[in-house]
Amino acid sequence: MKGSLTQSMSWLHTWCGLLLGWMLFAIFLTGTLAVFDKEINWWMQPELTDQALSPAAAANVAQRWLAERHPGETNWNISLPTARAPDLAVSVGERRRGGGGSGVIHLDPLSGEKIEPRETIGGNFFFHFHYTLHLPRTLGVWAVGFAAMAMLVALISGIIIHKKIFKEFFTFRPAKGQRSWLDAHNASAVLLLPFHLMITYTGLAIFFLLYMPAAVNALYDGDRQAYFRDGQSGQAAEQAPRGEGRASKAVSAPAAPLRPLSEIVSQAEAHYGQGMIGSLAVSNPGRANAQVTARPVLGNRIELTKGEGMLFDGVSGKLIQAPEPSRTSQLTQRVLAGLHFAQFGGYPMRWLYFICGLISCAMIGTGLVLYAVKQRKQAKANLHFLRVVESLNVAVVAGLLLACITLLWGNRLLPAELAARQDWELRLFFGVWALSWLHGWLRKPLSAWREQLMAAALLAISLPVLDLWSAQGTLDVMRLSLLASVASMGLLLGWTVWKVPTVIAARNARSARLGRPAAGASS
Amino acid sequence: MNASALFASLLLAYAGMLGFCLGKERHWKQLVNPRVPTWLRRLCAPLGGLLLGLAIYASCQVWPGGMAVVGWFGLISLAGFALLLLLPYAPRLAVSLPLLGGLVWAAAALT
Amino acid sequence: MTRSAIQSRSAWPAIAARTALALLGGYAFTYAFTAALARLLPLDPVDAVTAASLLSFVVYLVFMLWVFAAASLRRVLVGVGLTVPLAAIGFWPQLMEVLR
Repeated sequence: MKGSLTQSMSWLHTWCGLLLGWMLFAIFLTGTLAVFDKEINWWMQPELTDQALSPAAAANVAQRWLAERHPGETNWNISLPTARAPDLAVSVGERRRGGGGSGVIHLDPLSGEKIEPRETIGGNFFFHFHYTLHLPRTLGVWAVGFAAMAMLVALISGIIIHKKIFKEFFTFRPAKGQRSWLDAHNASAVLLLPFHLMITYTGLAIFFLLYMPAAVNALYDGDRQAYFRDGQSGQAAEQAPRGEGRASKAVSAPAAPLRPLSEIVSQAEAHYGQGMIGSLAVSNPGRANAQVTARPVLGNRIELTKGEGMLFDGVSGKLIQAPEPSRTSQLTQRVLAGLHFAQFGGYPMRWLYFICGLISCAMIGTGLVLYAVKQRKQAKANLHFLRVVESLNVAVVAGLLLACITLLWGNRLLPAELAARQDWELRLFFGVWALSWLHGWLRKPLSAWREQLMAAALLAISLPVLDLWSAQGTLDVMRLSLLASVASMGLLLGWTVWKVPTVIAARNARSARLGRPAAGASS
Repeated sequence: MNASALFASLLLAYAGMLGFCLGKERHWKQLVNPRVPTWLRRLCAPLGGLLLGLAIYASCQVWPGGMAVVGWFGLISLAGFALLLLLPYAPRLAVSLPLLGGLVWAAAALT
Repeated sequence: MTRSAIQSRSAWPAIAARTALALLGGYAFTYAFTAALARLLPLDPVDAVTAASLLSFVVYLVFMLWVFAAASLRRVLVGVGLTVPLAAIGFWPQLMEVLR
């Protein structure tokens, strides 16, 4: 029954897309920004400088500092300078997640002294928001997973109902009201279909056991550790999955000098490549049973090898355990996860993912606006619901954009020594976002859109001015690139917002001349 | 990073998508001079496919193995999207871009 | 769903039913299907778990689309009902333990 299928899928596409579209836009926008999370981190801590010291030398600096200040600790963790994160940082005790928070101490690689950059939520905020929506972790991950399934439903139902998918492959007719919104929505969806399907499915594949524990429950009685152990090949099973933290409790080995860490870094670089060592985890430093795990920076392959590393004896410097090639099924899952994390392929690949992500956001955004524009023309539309939809559209699309750029502005304006600085950054972000919803509720749709988008554009364009004027740190290539990118995008956005009234006025004039009401005029 | 190969890959992706575009009657009529014989239109899509194949080859010079395929998908999608945006606003540029880009690439490759 | 079903004022119960069956019934079906598939695949347990779990999203997706496309609610209920035999296949050993 062909007709019926199209109708049911059309209904499903509309409602699934609308109700989950707001969440999905937030997920996609923050995910797109998270592609450059480390670069944003770097920009948001201008006190840090890139001393261009080799990771091996930096490792020795860190070792010296840790040996002086924390000789008795059972665990040291050293974040080595890398291409995307040229800072040197250390921490002691159990490994903890996230960056920019307490417990992580930044060191100047040249002087070996402690640096105190401003506390910031950084680019990590966007990454974290992307997969949790700032909800408590498990709830957030489930909410995002739910949205991801909705995205798949919307994608497939959209393909089913798009009859002229090949005919209208390159069709975009601007300045024609509802027709243009539909063209834009279709085009951004169809031309990037491989990306949309890939990014959504791989996102689910990351937390696949959390979302669907059925198989583990059936075959392993729910024992995930047993599943992971089976997944590791041979010798690797002896090494704990998360490496360090095997704090030898009562086993107090005799004191023995720790090998200079630069040697271990050099050995690890021989395997992973120069500059490809991201961190060192030292257990029991200064003792005979000391071990050092050298972890790679992700990027040499698609497979996500987070947590993998080379294990060395801390006293002799000899290699104990090298990473083994993964089992096929594990390799498959890790490649899928790696496709989502996009840590491979260098900056060209990163930019491809970023631009594709922006167009995905455009797809979702045009879909949301299309619904509102279409409803405005219907005689029997539920006007109250439509108002809610229109205000949410502005708040989620324009408002979130505005909040993101405000976060960057706030980083330079909030004093560096402000107590609970991260909380203030969060308040600024969510405060602006909340205000944008209020603004969207009070103003007419077109005005609200223009005002919020223009505000975001102006903030983006003037970010370099703010940065240069406030002169709060060294402007290196990475920071300048960020400023240039943000400003360029701001210019593009501003130009678009500027042109819209002239386009609408021209269309209205044309329709008035022909004696017809303009299509979608009230948008 | 092989910038020349990346640029070539992007150009070939665009040219390939342009081929598919011109192969459609609607866009052929929109973009091509009426004096050009219409049977040429049927060559456009296969030619486009060939160019996309060459784009994979160029992509393999930029990235190793599987990454090249991932990059290729991204490049053809974005090239297609760029073409889509150019068509209503700058149709002549849309058609002449591969040639112009090719000249730039050749000039850069020769210096 | 037929057009008349969507447009009639009493559409909400039908819509709510389909939605619940798609989301909850679909998850239950997928859960059982994944367990059964993992058990039936002729692979090492770790590989079977990985393969079945990764495929589960496609299964859930197709099931949800089918719930909304299906001609009648009765067919949907039959489909959701398949959860039981699939769960029995998937959790066969656990079932044996309980029955013992």
